[in-house]
Amino acid sequence: MPLDTSSYSLALLRLDGRRWNELRRIHAVISSQPAADGSSYLEMGNTKVICTVTGPSEQKRTGPQQPTGPTASARIDVEVSVAGFSSVDRKKRSRTDKRTAEMQHILVSALSDIVHTHLYPHSTILISLHVLSLDGGLLAALINASTLALVDAGIPMSDYLVACTTGSTVNNASSRAVPARQTIPGIRSMANEVDDPLLDLNGLEEQDLPFVTVATVGSEKGRVAVCFSETRMMAERLEEMLAVGVDGCQMIRKVLDASVKAHGRRMLDDT
Amino acid sequence: MTSLKRTQPTGSDSTNLSSKVYVRTTRAGKVQKIVREVYLRQDIPCSSALCSECSKISTTYARGRAQPPVLAAKPLTSETFSTGHYLVPDTNAVLTGMDLFELESAFKDVIILQTVLEEVKNRSLPLYHRLVALTKNEDKRCYVFFNEFRMETYVVRQTGESINDRNDRAVRRAVQWYKEHLELSVKKKACPAIVMISNDNDCRKKAIAEGLVGLSLSKYVSGLEDADTLLDMVNEGREREDAKTTQENFYPEYYSLSKMTTGVKAGTMHQGTFGVSPFNYLEGTVRVPAFERPLIILGRENSNRAVSGDVAVVEVLPKEQWKTPSSKIVEEETLTKNDNPEAEDGETVISNKERKALQEDVKKAHGTTTEGKPQPTARIVGIIKRNWRQYVGHVDKDSVRTSDKLSRAAQTVFVIPMDKRIPKIRVRTRQAGELLGKRVLITIDSWDRDSRYPVGHFVRSLGELESKGAETEALLLEYDVQYRPFAKSVLDCLPEEGHDWKVPADTSDPGWRDRRDLRDLLVCSIDPPGCVDIDDALHATQLPNGNFAVGVHIADVSNFVKPDTAMDREASMRGTTVYLVDKRIDMLPMLLGTDLCSLKPFVERYAFSVLWELTPEADIVSVDFNKSVIRSRYAFSYEQAQLRIDDASQTDDLTQGMRILLQLSRTLRAKRMAAGALNLASPEVRIETESETSDPIDVKTKQALATNSLVEEFMLLANISVARRVQTAFPQTALLRRHAAPPAANFATLTHQLRVKRGLTLDVSSSKALADSLDTCVSSDSPFFNTLIRILATRCMTAAEYFAAGTLAPAQYRHYGLASEIYTHFTSPIRRYADLAVHRQLAAAIDYAPLAPSLQSRSRLEGVCRNINVRHRNAQFAGRASVEYYVGQALKGRDLIEEGHVMRVFENGVVVFVPRFGIEGLIRLRDMGTPEPVGEFDGEEYVLNVTGSREVRLELFDEVKVRITDEVEESTGKRKVKLGLA
Repeated sequence: MPLDTSSYSLALLRLDGRRWNELRRIHAVISSQPAADGSSYLEMGNTKVICTVTGPSEQKRTGPQQPTGPTASARIDVEVSVAGFSSVDRKKRSRTDKRTAEMQHILVSALSDIVHTHLYPHSTILISLHVLSLDGGLLAALINASTLALVDAGIPMSDYLVACTTGSTVNNASSRAVPARQTIPGIRSMANEVDDPLLDLNGLEEQDLPFVTVATVGSEKGRVAVCFSETRMMAERLEEMLAVGVDGCQMIRKVLDASVKAHGRRMLDDT
Repeated sequence: MTSLKRTQPTGSDSTNLSSKVYVRTTRAGKVQKIVREVYLRQDIPCSSALCSECSKISTTYARGRAQPPVLAAKPLTSETFSTGHYLVPDTNAVLTGMDLFELESAFKDVIILQTVLEEVKNRSLPLYHRLVALTKNEDKRCYVFFNEFRMETYVVRQTGESINDRNDRAVRRAVQWYKEHLELSVKKKACPAIVMISNDNDCRKKAIAEGLVGLSLSKYVSGLEDADTLLDMVNEGREREDAKTTQENFYPEYYSLSKMTTGVKAGTMHQGTFGVSPFNYLEGTVRVPAFERPLIILGRENSNRAVSGDVAVVEVLPKEQWKTPSSKIVEEETLTKNDNPEAEDGETVISNKERKALQEDVKKAHGTTTEGKPQPTARIVGIIKRNWRQYVGHVDKDSVRTSDKLSRAAQTVFVIPMDKRIPKIRVRTRQAGELLGKRVLITIDSWDRDSRYPVGHFVRSLGELESKGAETEALLLEYDVQYRPFAKSVLDCLPEEGHDWKVPADTSDPGWRDRRDLRDLLVCSIDPPGCVDIDDALHATQLPNGNFAVGVHIADVSNFVKPDTAMDREASMRGTTVYLVDKRIDMLPMLLGTDLCSLKPFVERYAFSVLWELTPEADIVSVDFNKSVIRSRYAFSYEQAQLRIDDASQTDDLTQGMRILLQLSRTLRAKRMAAGALNLASPEVRIETESETSDPIDVKTKQALATNSLVEEFMLLANISVARRVQTAFPQTALLRRHAAPPAANFATLTHQLRVKRGLTLDVSSSKALADSLDTCVSSDSPFFNTLIRILATRCMTAAEYFAAGTLAPAQYRHYGLASEIYTHFTSPIRRYADLAVHRQLAAAIDYAPLAPSLQSRSRLEGVCRNINVRHRNAQFAGRASVEYYVGQALKGRDLIEEGHVMRVFENGVVVFVPRFGIEGLIRLRDMGTPEPVGEFDGEEYVLNVTGSREVRLELFDEVKVRITDEVEESTGKRKVKLGLA
């Protein structure tokens, strides 16, 4: 059985043998379901997600709250369903699960920013995500899978939206930070524990450590589009974690880009 | 169709992927299948200074922290390994030989494999922590090699292979790899040998077949210098497993864990901590939540290998087997004196003598009245958690075959632990002759069904019995007091200026931020004579409106000890300063405790002040908490302060202030007593020592002056005020102290004794009622009687404890002894960690500084509370034991007649308390005369009628003349205070 996260300082190796700045294996497939308008299958470590995009299709319901007129643009709907068998214990998640709803909302608002929705007025783009297996970095995997599926569907976007998680080896309770205004000259604080930021946490690490999900748009550092955390952390650690997260996003972007290009080449070869 | 097939990882990638799949069972009995990824890599260094390859593996991954090789280029050599050797122990070797690996002299250049580390962690958490500490010790050159993450050493479990076999194979693979890896960079001849240490014959055989070097732990040790001493430290129990033959089993087998869990859940079995009676080693009790009174465990067979302190599961016996608690003194030393440590055969679990001792109790089982009624009796069916620790003891002289110092023959001896509740421990040693008459440290390794006594091994010798050094160290070890000097990392947290540190003169200095300047107040401290760590100081002045301004100023330790520094962690672990007669084990380094924090007179010091406005009736008008700077005007001892107050010619403001304080403290005390605070007594004595040698020369009982109570009252007031404030600010995480009301059942015996013997009643319905009824417990013929009852009543109480406010309902915050709704410790931050934590919470409550995260988390705080509760109790025990030892020393060679009081009556003896020396001791029938007189015991009347060679009637609470001598105990050569009837 693996050691817990506190053993990191012994050899600077994480629970699964990675260094602090290494991603898990990413495996991305585009057009995994040719019948859909756009689809993708993404594995980040043991987190496995299927994504299908339907649309842009004409809006069926036109409720009073829908904006009308020439400015109206496409609406993005996101449905996330986490399979009961995805985690170790089989459990049924209700449709109204608050955490799922929040993730859906984050996806909608982040994607609405980069997808050129104004090109498809009065229409809906439906993104359905199915989580087959869950081992940390769920939101990041959902964002990456959606990006790939949208590319596959041929929907214009300004750039890839890529995401990854980033954490810190020092969890809240054991941090030794002394706020600056409290330090008194003449008293040195000792640092003998290792406090590294970590990239791409797996499920076990997520249980133990504070972490943030970061998503960026564009290459060369890009722009942070999503920054989301459900854990408490020391404010001093955040900057470092974000920097590592943004770098991680760039690495993921390259992987996704490569798989998009490979898929493109295959399409050209086939025709 | 697009295939979902995985793309293969490219060859250039240094990592490779494997996955770990295993099945585990949760506590609820559910089976879970866990899948984990494992990334295999080739950049994990071997960390040998010899290796040229691995030094190239850059440590860029470690963000600039270069890690120098751990294993030395020239490792230790021995006869067998002329080119030096690296050790690779397997899990069993670590588990059995931890004490050896911790040796300073041998066992260097050790490679701890990840496989081993993980297995050790699963088997024993304390050993795991010791192992991790070992890897951080630079002298030991211990390297953790993450073999499970290195591609070449990763081993996949084969079908049909047990997990242990897989792990053994992983160890062998790692050894093989190290060998081949080092031979790449070093010539084969100069290459250090990689020695696998394993106690598993099979594994060793396989290793040798693969061309590796595999030795058992004892074989390896016997190749070292000093082998005889070291061999003793090889853990006995697990080594023997190899050669074990089926023998007669003495004890019933334990139930399986699942059977016990179901039983406990269903209510047919009960779980609790096993404790042994200090008077009868064959009788133990287990307190379980289901019953108000503890269950009795009688005899060896029923206590089934449980050692005092273990968490055990018990099953209640059928009613006809219920017994009364024993009224006889049974000592292990006398009953089992002739047991042979070597031979097991022919022994039964209960020897005839023991059986006889038990028989007496069965007779009693048919008693008639309430007190003599048989009580629920149980037997132990399993152990949930062993609480074995290291024990201090001495070798039983009678069990040693040859006490020849030169003899190196291994023999089995008994070690008698200092703690009477722990059974003798069978230890195999080659140095029996040398160890005789020494204090030794031992651990229990195992207690198998076929062994009557637990089997242990020798750890180290502390020195001659009776020598001050050895006895003091023994005390500290026995009560788990951390007495090592402070580590460098702790001392690094001290202010750089050292003793020259001063309160900054410039009030714009950051240290002065939000501090009140109270240097003008006439503050003084009152402490015991010779006190150097002055926690508290006081002042009082009269206000124009007739009220009084009173202040308690406490050393501002939190200013120097910042949360989560090395010093804070050390202090939190030590928990409290331990006061022994001749020694003080500090919680904080000397520099802080006795200088920078200490509120010494005539110098400016940082303080945390509680300022009240009190009416002349001592009611609080207002209270204010402030960080401050004070300058104490004088450090009084209690006597000095008393003299100054009593001296009418002194009319300066400082003396007037002290008079106000004294006046107010009397009012406060009266109010507290009216509210039902208890005035409890514990035997307290002071040891007078010769100034030069600190050898004890006399024993005095402590005297209480009015000034003692002056300080005490204001400290209580400050603690209560702070507790209220902190609880309001942090309803979940405030650190408070409570004292639960003792259940009435605790007093049952004492109430009965008082009613029978003196016709007195003890009302225990509330603390007020108890305080009042204790006041009525007086005897015209003996002024000490009241104190005696108070001492006995104190023993019926529960212990006060620290807790986090959120863990209990506010109604349970109550401090029973002080009759206060809420209480905490605030006034001694130099010597108690709880106070330091409360200081931080109060500072946060008044918005002086943000609260450290560790004090915000309730779970962390509960951990802190648990620790300081234990440390606090241990410190008290250690202090008492130290006094006891010195009383013994002071009485050396004397022959005195003193007044004593009968505290307890047994069938074959009485327990007598001697107030003059604060000692209580046993007078057995056989101590009263030879031949042993006959005792006629009446359990209902608490009378022992002695006839025969000596005629005397001993009644409970009676005053007796006691003759105090000291005698040398035959078996141990140890001096002991002996009591006899005069």
